Amino acid sequence: MQLHRDRDRIAAAGVRLVVIGQGTPDHAKEFQARNHVEGLTILVDESRASYDAAGAKVATVTELLGPRVVARGTVSGLRTRLPQTATKGHAAQLGGVLLVLPDGSVPYAHLAEDASDNASTDEILAAAERAGPEPTRSG
Amino acid sequence: MVVVENPVRSLLGAAPKKRFARAPARADDLADLVLKDLDGGDVRLGDTWRDGPVALVWLRHYG
Repeated sequence: MQLHRDRDRIAAAGVRLVVIGQGTPDHAKEFQARNHVEGLTILVDESRASYDAAGAKVATVTELLGPRVVARGTVSGLRTRLPQTATKGHAAQLGGVLLVLPDGSVPYAHLAEDASDNASTDEILAAAERAGPEPTRSG
Repeated sequence: MVVVENPVRSLLGAAPKKRFARAPARADDLADLVLKDLDGGDVRLGDTWRDGPVALVWLRHYG
């Protein structure tokens, strides 16, 4: 998922987008400015408790630096033209996406299995559509 | 037997053994967690999906 590119599609589908990162509020502000995602809800989880509760895992060395991971990361970096900067927080922590409905159910989840594994916006939108229509909202 | 620690693994804090990520079927364990917004204010995670569906995206890091 490319946040700067896909946030409008997600909002148009009636889904609020909330980004959670490890680090400090200042790290999050730097991230917001660098990725041109002003107005996006960005939260900070220094303890990584939400990562744990979401089921996100801590990677092995191979899942961070293996040849397949590095190759996919290089291609992604060239495509998005967003350079990798210094890591803030736990370097081996992986992320993911959960789609959560108002009743607390999770009809879609994609948790990274290695550092190059990212969720597909199309899959998120398809899951939101299956879950039922929602009015268009911003977020 | 002497166990030699992998220095790269130690540096990165990487896991010693592969495990599979496991997503919850419900977000109940997430609902009462309180995170900080950009201004340092408290945000209860469950409030983000109270009024409609939310895509919660956990970044690897802000880098």
